[in-house]
Amino acid sequence: MEIFFQALINGIFIGGVYAAYSAGFSLIFGVMEVINLAHGDFLMIGAFTAYWLYNLGHIDPYITIPFAGILLFFIGYFIQKFSINRVIDKPPVMSYILTFGIHLVITNLAIKLWTHDFRSVTTSYSGMNFEIWGITVPVSRFITFLLSFVIIGFLFYLLEKTNLGRAIRAVSQNKKVAELLGVDIKKIYALTFGIGAAITGIAGASISPFVILYPEMGLNYTIVAFCVVVLGGMGYIPGALIGGFILGIIQALTVTYLNAGISVAITFILLYIMLILKPAGITGKGNTV
Amino acid sequence: MKKFVFTIIFFLALAILPFIGIDRYYMRFLTYLFMWAALAQCWNISSGYTGYIDFGPVAYFGLGAYLTSISMTLFHHTFLFSIISGAIVSVFVALIISMPTLKLKGAYFAIATFAFAESLKQVVLSFDRTFHVNFFNGSHGITLPISTNYKMFFYSMLFISFILFLLTFFIAKSKIGLALKAIGESENVSELIGINTTLNKIIVYLLSAFFISIIGGIYAYWVTYITPDDVFSVHKTVQMVIMTLLGGMGTIYGPLMGAVFLSGISEFLGAEFVENYLIIVGFIVIFIILLEPEGIYGFKKWKKYLKLKI
Repeated sequence: MEIFFQALINGIFIGGVYAAYSAGFSLIFGVMEVINLAHGDFLMIGAFTAYWLYNLGHIDPYITIPFAGILLFFIGYFIQKFSINRVIDKPPVMSYILTFGIHLVITNLAIKLWTHDFRSVTTSYSGMNFEIWGITVPVSRFITFLLSFVIIGFLFYLLEKTNLGRAIRAVSQNKKVAELLGVDIKKIYALTFGIGAAITGIAGASISPFVILYPEMGLNYTIVAFCVVVLGGMGYIPGALIGGFILGIIQALTVTYLNAGISVAITFILLYIMLILKPAGITGKGNTV
Repeated sequence: MKKFVFTIIFFLALAILPFIGIDRYYMRFLTYLFMWAALAQCWNISSGYTGYIDFGPVAYFGLGAYLTSISMTLFHHTFLFSIISGAIVSVFVALIISMPTLKLKGAYFAIATFAFAESLKQVVLSFDRTFHVNFFNGSHGITLPISTNYKMFFYSMLFISFILFLLTFFIAKSKIGLALKAIGESENVSELIGINTTLNKIIVYLLSAFFISIIGGIYAYWVTYITPDDVFSVHKTVQMVIMTLLGGMGTIYGPLMGAVFLSGISEFLGAEFVENYLIIVGFIVIFIILLEPEGIYGFKKWKKYLKLKI
């Protein structure tokens, strides 16, 4: 029974991390129906920002978060402004292929700059654990888990309570009416993409203390973000939290009781079944095209 | 029609090449090019006209490769029997998968097909370890008997890409082609005017699965060693999509041009540093999408040139 609870707790922690980096993906899809295949690369850039600031400037990875956020905001903003905005009215395949092109450029430039080496950020608290009721909790995962709530809470606040959020919601509900009411759609798109990229970069910096960093890591994270967002409902931000937890718990349980390989297989089979049976996600609040 | 005749003559000219006696290296390169031309055409048949973006065609490539290899190594069937039976099984799988999947639209269809391909890969990877059997060999892959009959691979890939060219041509000119284009324009309207949209979509999906599976089978025997990470690689899917898109989606000649263009670039640039090649491909993809979304075949000057000269 103790093993079961340990697996459950591990799953919840993994789930929090999943939620943090999938929220941006969900936001971008929800507002402009772009499947951003370069999503994981934003995470990679965020994680590498933390890595370099830690190694060269000895700044704690959790303190590098604002740097990663600001850097990724500008990267995202300009990518949307100068490329994706130009194909936003064309068939959706254009935006998939375009973001895939961006993924190819970012990943391979990163390989050229930083080589294929596996790296890790080893802080003084890496590998430290604490125990509650006989269950082991790794410190850095716990901090990131808390941060993921902050990230999603911030995003939720931004969308619900600010003027920018109102404009973003208006555009995602009805583009034409929003434009008639004087919202600059292209600008909102660029800002949304920037915000989506920024929170992904923040998530990247905050997972850097306990994951292995390498330039090709992005695509795997993009794929997990797919699963999380579909489970929780595409475009519905709090759904990322629910989807993240469900996926995290399922993976932790299958890894514990079966094996690691089959847990990935189960993730994808689940994703497929979910899309066929309930494309709006478990919450039923996702967009359905 | 002139273009059609010209392309057929071009294919025939390529078929003579091994008799003239070309370098082993060019033979290998051309076999590779024909394979990609065939794959891009398969993707174009199923997705190019309808706009249903299939992100998992590699599922049938891997399935074909694995079924062929297992049939040849475990059951000692002949190569021809193996690829054809593999393709038939793939079509059955495609039939089961297509019915629920083709109901999805847009991004959901793309993700579902991707999830299907990735599930197959992961199942092949972890099947043996989970059920304690010796069937797929997990990440160790399968080694096939070695064949040095390079001409056979050259001709089979050339033949498949030629058949697919003819098939694309006849589909594009036939009623199915019109129906597919109508679905691409507006699915609801097509249904209203009495087109059986589901049937048409399933037909092309199965056709494409059949041929991709055969190509996968030939590929397996050609490279003699397959692993799930290779034959189910998402990069294969992406390459098919990019080639078709570069050449021109929903055109007869586009996928061929895209395949020649991208294979050529990869051969000249990819030989030394794969990163450089991928960075350049990434930029080409971005620029094509932003500047000329109709693909190489859609270039206005190119079109004029083709009309004047050929």
